[in-house]
Amino acid sequence: MHFTQELELFPGKKVTQLLFKEVKNAAVLRKSAVEGKINGALINPTMLVSPFQVLVAANKAVHLQTIEKMKTRSLYSEIIFNLSPTNNISEAFKRFGISDGDDSVMVVVVHDKDESQLLSDITSKVEGRQVPVEDVSSLSDAAKIKKLYKVTPAEETCGTLLDAVICRMAIKDVL
Amino acid sequence: MAQHGGTAAVLEAAELLKQGAEARLYRTRFLGRPAIVKQRFPKRYRHPLLDEKLSQRRTAQEVRSILRCRRAGISAPVVYFVDHTSHCIFLEELVGSSTVRDYIGSHRDLELDRLAERVGQILARMHDEDVIHGDLTTSNMLLRRGTEDGKVDLVLIDFGLSYISALPEDKGVDLYVLEKAFLSTHPNTEALFQKLLDSYARSSNKSAAVLKKLDEVRLRGRKRSMVG
Ligand SMILES: Nc1ncnc2c1ncn2[C@@H]1O[C@H](COP(=O)(O)O)[C@@H](O)[C@H]1O
Repeated sequence: MHFTQELELFPGKKVTQLLFKEVKNAAVLRKSAVEGKINGALINPTMLVSPFQVLVAANKAVHLQTIEKMKTRSLYSEIIFNLSPTNNISEAFKRFGISDGDDSVMVVVVHDKDESQLLSDITSKVEGRQVPVEDVSSLSDAAKIKKLYKVTPAEETCGTLLDAVICRMAIKDVL
Repeated sequence: MAQHGGTAAVLEAAELLKQGAEARLYRTRFLGRPAIVKQRFPKRYRHPLLDEKLSQRRTAQEVRSILRCRRAGISAPVVYFVDHTSHCIFLEELVGSSTVRDYIGSHRDLELDRLAERVGQILARMHDEDVIHGDLTTSNMLLRRGTEDGKVDLVLIDFGLSYISALPEDKGVDLYVLEKAFLSTHPNTEALFQKLLDSYARSSNKSAAVLKKLDEVRLRGRKRSMVG
């Protein structure tokens, strides 16, 4: 049910995503993440259009980590920051990180070896029902996403919402 | 800094599509998807610091122009990733697309009239957004078959020399560059190119000033070639 993709630019490095619904312990999870006890980024899936969006953010985070140019303190916070269309770090966490009352969560892990141990660590911590990662599109709040990324109706005539989101994430540092 | 992986290593294994004067174009995969990488390489005849600054600026301008076009509903490849260290842009590959150049070489009058009409409209819209492409040719326009409706979508590529300007002169020169490229690539297409310009004229209410400048630039071009 999880989805693992290798980063072509960083051979051996992989990104694994796990999606959970009916989550009961979001507040505990968030606290563990803040304390660094969870080895992953906890993302609010309503702000995601597709797992590809997460991959784009993760690839950029690993790139910036490699060249020592991250804007935040850890790889996982950098992934969340990269999802945001703006350069405001606290706003990025508010919109794209999970909040205490959330009932769904996307967990993102960057790793280089086999993921089985990592996955069981995560699934043991989340009190919720794991669902296929592709189901994230059924949780997305398209209206909120369009508003936050300032996607114009004209733009949707020449591409998908995902295209619009990806472009802004890739370009935000030079806007 | 020695690094494992990174953009440079990937490009070594990628298929080189084109070696240009300013950049190389590669075909590769990015996060599982077919992608094109445009890499600006250092120019030895320029001072290294100046060269770095120029590459940085051109890379930034290229992706900004792409977003500006897309926001206005003008198709351009999706930008996946920008590596500002190696001056590489990772773009969506328009799989199965063909260039307008090839299309013109293999189609008949009626279809070409429709295409010229379409190109004129899109360039007018691009200029209304104050995007100057800087290198308009029929190779820098791709035709992609639409996924749902089967309609053909015109996609502008290669914004490497683009910039933002509201000046009719800059827009006129943009069209002049296209006219030169168009007529030399496709002999005896003066009438077809005029259809493109007519469509441009109808599609923008700022077109009169631009076409006037185009006339002036043509005249200058001719005078210059007469003087030799
Ligand atoms: N995003 C793209 N997708 C597919 N083909 C491309 C793309 N960008 C460039 N090409 C091809 O590469 C050629 C040279 O591109 P350029 O150097 O940008 O003029 C074009 O004429 C296209 O055939």
